[in-house]
Amino acid sequence: MSIQALLTQFGDKYVQALFTTWKLTATSFALAFVLGIVITVMRVSPVRPLRLLAEFYIQIFRNIPGASLLILLVYALPYLDMIFSYYTCVLMACTLIPAAFCSEYLLAGMNTIAPGQIEAARSLGLTFLQIIWRVVLPQALRSSVLPLTSLLVSTMLTTALASQVPLNPQDLTGLVSYINTHAVGGVTAFFISAALYCATAVVIGQIGSWIDRKVRILR
Amino acid sequence: MSEARKEILKNESGNTEIPVIELRNVNKYFGQSHVLKDISLKIRKGEVVVVIGPSGSGKSTLCRTINRLETIESGEILIDGVPVPMEGKALAALRSQIGMVFQSFNLFAHKNVLDNVILGPVDVLHRHRKQAKEEALQLLARVGVADKAAKVPAQLSGGQQQRVAIARALAMHPKAILFDEPTSALDPEMIGEVLEVMTSLAKDGMTMVVVTHEMNFARRVADRVLFLDGGSIIEENTPEAFFTHPQTQRAQDFLNSIKEH
Amino acid sequence: MIDNKNGDIRQFLFEEPGERTKRTIRIATAVSLVLLAAVLGAVIWQFYRTGQLDAKYWRIFIRWTTWRFLARGLAGTLEAAAMAGVMAFAAGFCLMYGRISRFRWLRALCTALIEFTRGVPTLLFIYFFFLVAPQLGIKLAAFWKISIPVAISACGVVAEVLRSGVNAVPRGQREAAMAIGMRDSHAFFKVIFPQAFRYVVPALISELVIVVKDTTFAYVVNFPDLMQNARVLISNYDALLSTYLVVAVIYILINYLLNKASDAAARRMRNTGTAAAPEMQTGAGEGAGV
Repeated sequence: MSIQALLTQFGDKYVQALFTTWKLTATSFALAFVLGIVITVMRVSPVRPLRLLAEFYIQIFRNIPGASLLILLVYALPYLDMIFSYYTCVLMACTLIPAAFCSEYLLAGMNTIAPGQIEAARSLGLTFLQIIWRVVLPQALRSSVLPLTSLLVSTMLTTALASQVPLNPQDLTGLVSYINTHAVGGVTAFFISAALYCATAVVIGQIGSWIDRKVRILR
Repeated sequence: MSEARKEILKNESGNTEIPVIELRNVNKYFGQSHVLKDISLKIRKGEVVVVIGPSGSGKSTLCRTINRLETIESGEILIDGVPVPMEGKALAALRSQIGMVFQSFNLFAHKNVLDNVILGPVDVLHRHRKQAKEEALQLLARVGVADKAAKVPAQLSGGQQQRVAIARALAMHPKAILFDEPTSALDPEMIGEVLEVMTSLAKDGMTMVVVTHEMNFARRVADRVLFLDGGSIIEENTPEAFFTHPQTQRAQDFLNSIKEH
Repeated sequence: MIDNKNGDIRQFLFEEPGERTKRTIRIATAVSLVLLAAVLGAVIWQFYRTGQLDAKYWRIFIRWTTWRFLARGLAGTLEAAAMAGVMAFAAGFCLMYGRISRFRWLRALCTALIEFTRGVPTLLFIYFFFLVAPQLGIKLAAFWKISIPVAISACGVVAEVLRSGVNAVPRGQREAAMAIGMRDSHAFFKVIFPQAFRYVVPALISELVIVVKDTTFAYVVNFPDLMQNARVLISNYDALLSTYLVVAVIYILINYLLNKASDAAARRMRNTGTAAAPEMQTGAGEGAGV
């Protein structure tokens, strides 16, 4: 199928699919970021049960394959009387897993802070929360820009899970499968989706390294 | 000793005067090892006390217990006659009254020099940002790094960073400043510029506790020298007396070992 | 990841607690324990209420044959993962070598290929080999339909990981090799790459985790891996929840062990001082971990 024919027939669907992928990516990354911060707070808290729970969360969701998690959410949860829409299930899978990685990066970012700076902040009379807010968080966030950028890209790649459930509109991967089972889309259909993914990834990467250059902490 | 300081010491040498810093029978352990043994010490307003001793003698630890960066197992530490609180806002408030200068500078890596200096005044003392900035610039000028105000710490030499750290401490208008080996991490050619700033602070009547290996500084600037070994104060004397006639064999040995270098 | 030259921040973030802080921590601990117990209780209750704790759902897991069938699936997973890993390493090495080559066009080509493989989801590659390739007359066994796309999607990351290792080898090493008369390529293979490889062993092991995860899509191409065999079990025994849970736990354990191995390799490297000199830029490898 030529690219023109493909686009006349499926052009609208591609636009919709691109937006679905973007929407899933943006929503789940935002949620994952918030959840990641919560988990990180739990991990560094002096409350042992919370710390253990957070570490447990990390080990589970760092290591579970996306497909395995999505299948549990979609097919197994209804057996426990918990039924979510397909979209919500995909969103949950694309949030729970990146949140674990987000926390790993934030903790690594925190570890770049020299302990002496915390002592210095203490000796200036900053309270614990002020130290977190003024010294620890800004440095942790600023040195996690690049890892978080690649996390955003891999969150986007994870949203391809959406192709495993019936969604309307479909995401970029689901659409390729749809086109190829309904028409002979061939290589072109694949490459259009791939190009849209890639372009998004490149733009994210560029923005990420631009932000990193702006906020990088010289050491 | 400068005229200004003599004046201060004379005026406040009455016996009823409350020391700025007082340690009473302080004991500190790291696990099994007893690093501070029953230390008692009074530091009066305007006094410069230099703490010397071999490495591992507990002199840094002593310095760090004063604002409770190190906890103590027994004894009491008082600032202006008030016991150092154990925790929380009260401890933070007390710490804001005592400046500290570290061996490794410990400037905030993500803030430029000016922001390093105004963080305490703005966030802890709740001063107006603009006012705090003006004063910070004056302090930076005083320590000779006004032209670096917009730079970040990593762009500065060690000596410059340490002078910024001193300005940061001064910005809090502290009752006293603790110096924990302030020149030990510096290249030799930068030690002088930091000691110069410290000397001028001493002249202006700042109360200072200085842990250092710089014997010349101790000799010139100190009002009192404490010699620490094995966690105890072995000798306490004026610099002149200490350096010319040490009373104990251990102090004698220590001074000899330094001369050999 | 928690290791760092400054040590673990968690040791420095908190001061020795005073009496009041100790009390607050004790209370928070008690409250969080109660909450955790409540949540756990609610989960178990939900399992119980919906009948999912019934023996009929779990009985199959005391049968030897169930485990043998799952083990066969696991073997399929591991075979596909191993093959994908080998191919990804080979392709990744070529891409890396091209990316640092003298020829501009080759560098550009390899950079583009690396970015392409890193920017496209594995599933899309799988659909390419599952749906598109047959239209082009390419007929492949299910094993290749899963292992090739998984390898493609990993090779870009592998290339970048290897490159970060090569960049971490001190410049003097190459100069020293040249000084004793080695040619450029000779120096690369004999001196630089062996060191670079040692630096990146932990990152490569981590990448294996991603490969294992990606093979779970094998059901798309009907390759009998762990997940696919689980589906077969489910269709025979009507024990969906329990089977998928067990399978998820198996995957989590495998990947957990791989991550542990990666950490151990990193620790060993630090202890032997291999990575003492260079500061690795691991940004390339990390982040793709989802």
